[in-house]
Amino acid sequence: MEKAKISATQLFILMVLFELGSALLVPLAMGAKQDAWLAILIGMLCSFFFFLIYHKLYSYYPDLLPTEYMQKILGKVLGTLLAFIYIVYFLYDASRVLRDFGEMLLTFAYPDTPLFIANALLMLVIIYITRKGIEAIARSGELLFIFMYFLAIAGFILIISSGLIDFKNLQPVLKEGILPVAKVALTETLYFPFTEAIVFTMLLPYLSNPKKANVTMLCATGLSGINLIITMIINISVLGVDLTTRSQFPLLSTVQTIQVADFLERLDVFFMFAMVIGIYFKVSILFYASIISTATLFKIKSPSRLAYPLGIIVLFLSITIASNFQEHLYEGLHVARLLLHMPLFAVVPILLLLIAFFKNRKRQQRQ
Amino acid sequence: MIKMKRKSLFLLVMTIMMVLLTSCWSKKELTDLSFVSAMGIDKTKDGRYELTFQIINPGNVAGLQGGGGTQSPPVTIYSASGDNLVEASRRASARISRRLYYAHTNLVVIGEKLAREEGINILIDSIDRDPEFRITTSLVIANQSSAADLVKALTPVDKIPANKIMKTLEFTQRKWGENLKVSFQEVMRSLESPGGEALVSGFRLVGNPQQAEKLDNLQQSAPEATLRASGIAVFKNGKLIDWLYNSPARGSVWILDKIQGTDINVDWKGKKEALAYQTVRQKTDVSIKVIKGKPYASVHTRVEGDLGEVEVPVDTRQPAVIKKMEKAAGKEIKKELQTAIKQAQTDKVDIFGFGEALERTRPNQWEKLKSEWDDVYFPKLDVDVTVEAYIRRTGLRNKSFLSSVKEKQH
Repeated sequence: MEKAKISATQLFILMVLFELGSALLVPLAMGAKQDAWLAILIGMLCSFFFFLIYHKLYSYYPDLLPTEYMQKILGKVLGTLLAFIYIVYFLYDASRVLRDFGEMLLTFAYPDTPLFIANALLMLVIIYITRKGIEAIARSGELLFIFMYFLAIAGFILIISSGLIDFKNLQPVLKEGILPVAKVALTETLYFPFTEAIVFTMLLPYLSNPKKANVTMLCATGLSGINLIITMIINISVLGVDLTTRSQFPLLSTVQTIQVADFLERLDVFFMFAMVIGIYFKVSILFYASIISTATLFKIKSPSRLAYPLGIIVLFLSITIASNFQEHLYEGLHVARLLLHMPLFAVVPILLLLIAFFKNRKRQQRQ
Repeated sequence: MIKMKRKSLFLLVMTIMMVLLTSCWSKKELTDLSFVSAMGIDKTKDGRYELTFQIINPGNVAGLQGGGGTQSPPVTIYSASGDNLVEASRRASARISRRLYYAHTNLVVIGEKLAREEGINILIDSIDRDPEFRITTSLVIANQSSAADLVKALTPVDKIPANKIMKTLEFTQRKWGENLKVSFQEVMRSLESPGGEALVSGFRLVGNPQQAEKLDNLQQSAPEATLRASGIAVFKNGKLIDWLYNSPARGSVWILDKIQGTDINVDWKGKKEALAYQTVRQKTDVSIKVIKGKPYASVHTRVEGDLGEVEVPVDTRQPAVIKKMEKAAGKEIKKELQTAIKQAQTDKVDIFGFGEALERTRPNQWEKLKSEWDDVYFPKLDVDVTVEAYIRRTGLRNKSFLSSVKEKQH
């Protein structure tokens, strides 16, 4: 663990950027069709429960990284093993998001460029910033957060003023009842993008004001959830359910349809900027978390030295995890959910909290 | 000293990197691109697709303003064929010195024969999928001709024929309302509806197609061959089944709430078409309900406008007269909307989206009627049309010229 502090505002900003990151890119929760916004809302509300669990764990061990307190809770061997699994997961997730970035660029703008080059260019920047430490990431977050919201608000105004929004596309609400929506919410949106932010438990020990941890996490999730809901409502009301489901990048298609006054059109670059910013932070944070937890687990004195070797792993992993974009998406939606998201985001933290609760009660009783 | 050296080495590396990094993969130089302004799709006799590309000649477009002697046309036409659109587009590269660039393609024209026989569903995918093509591109059906003839025609005033077609559609929709400008996105959305019904604008080449390709066609004040908006193509299950002209066309555009302004002729005191009622704005709402398993639709429109022409001696200073005129205009509009509905019902195409309106508001009842909607329920649908027409102003005069003439002569 490096000696650094980040403020609650910085944590908030990073978390919003993280949760928006690649969730803006994909047709999120489209299994619920025109009720996608509702699925996101339910997913967001349910994730609050998990954030309370993550926070409770943190409040037992405010100065330790999760990879460290896992060893305290489960014992040396089991704890180390579990911490190692989390590290591998963070690296895998970082490479998934990096792959999303490369696929987006190649599909849309650079069809002749090799995937490796696109990914490598972003990864180089990420390696550089993680070597500079969490404070640098947080500061660049503050800068780009404003820019991202400027883009979002400008895009929002343009979409409204070009008269594209047709709320009829959102009807009928709950055609097949609440069940399919709840299913999508609990199996997809809860994990991606909301509880994926479990990686922020790795950053909580850096927080200068630990009292604010809980509120900050919940507020950030709330804000990013609302943003995602607005985005999906706009996507569906502009494109319609079928086109949104069929789109690889619905937000891109929405932005492409903007035509204001015959000259404000083809604003694809708005989308590109927002995506590059969001994905850059998402990969950076996942990557940073894996670096510091590796350093603490293997007792490496300067974590920044791990940036290059682990960065190269992430880069190569991002190329090799899937042979095509569709396989990559399938893995994310179907394989990773059961094998990684449910156990690592939901089951393990609950078990850890139970054990920690009893352990701490025993200690308190002894005192 | 060492620090200095390191710094200068660092600077050197940075400078070299800057030079190397500015070049990029996937670059597109302006001089290597040919901008496709319009693309025509036809089917050849042996069942292949024939694409016709209208490519902008950049130099000639800019140089044309002075008028007079022009050596070469503002656009050049190339065509290529293939078993699918992508193949045809790639094959075209054998004929064109530059890379075809579709990002500025504003218009896709489909030949009537292809639209009737094979339908347009199969053509959509490549355009929907391609990252260069925009889904805001307009779609037009070549009325009674091949798409190639339409794309090849040169036009006066707006030098680029694609722009001429787009602008014509836009303005005629706004001023007259018998035509529609629809984008790919809108067509896709309507083709995805349960019955696959869609309305697409039609365009026609009037005159000799060979003459239309020649520059000297433009050197006459009244060109022999011209392009004009003509009809609205009705699609069912992706295939063209009918054309709408005149009042069914305008009525349909009206019910779809896409009309912006038009002129309605109203009979007055026994004289046919005596008043011209120019509409300024209107709002149409469609709603539908089911009573005892039988659907009832209602179309309500509220229109505002003013008097444009009065061909009978009438004093329009009387509010009561205006009221009467409003009523008469409303009746005219109602008639027009009803002809449009009748036409759609005979064709058995729910182009107004009554079915979708039902699905949106009462999904459970829609499920029951869905399977027989197009054949049973829609053709017999009871549609109640109500019109609220308002005449807000009467132009610069308060009574007609004819009424002054009449007063003097008596």
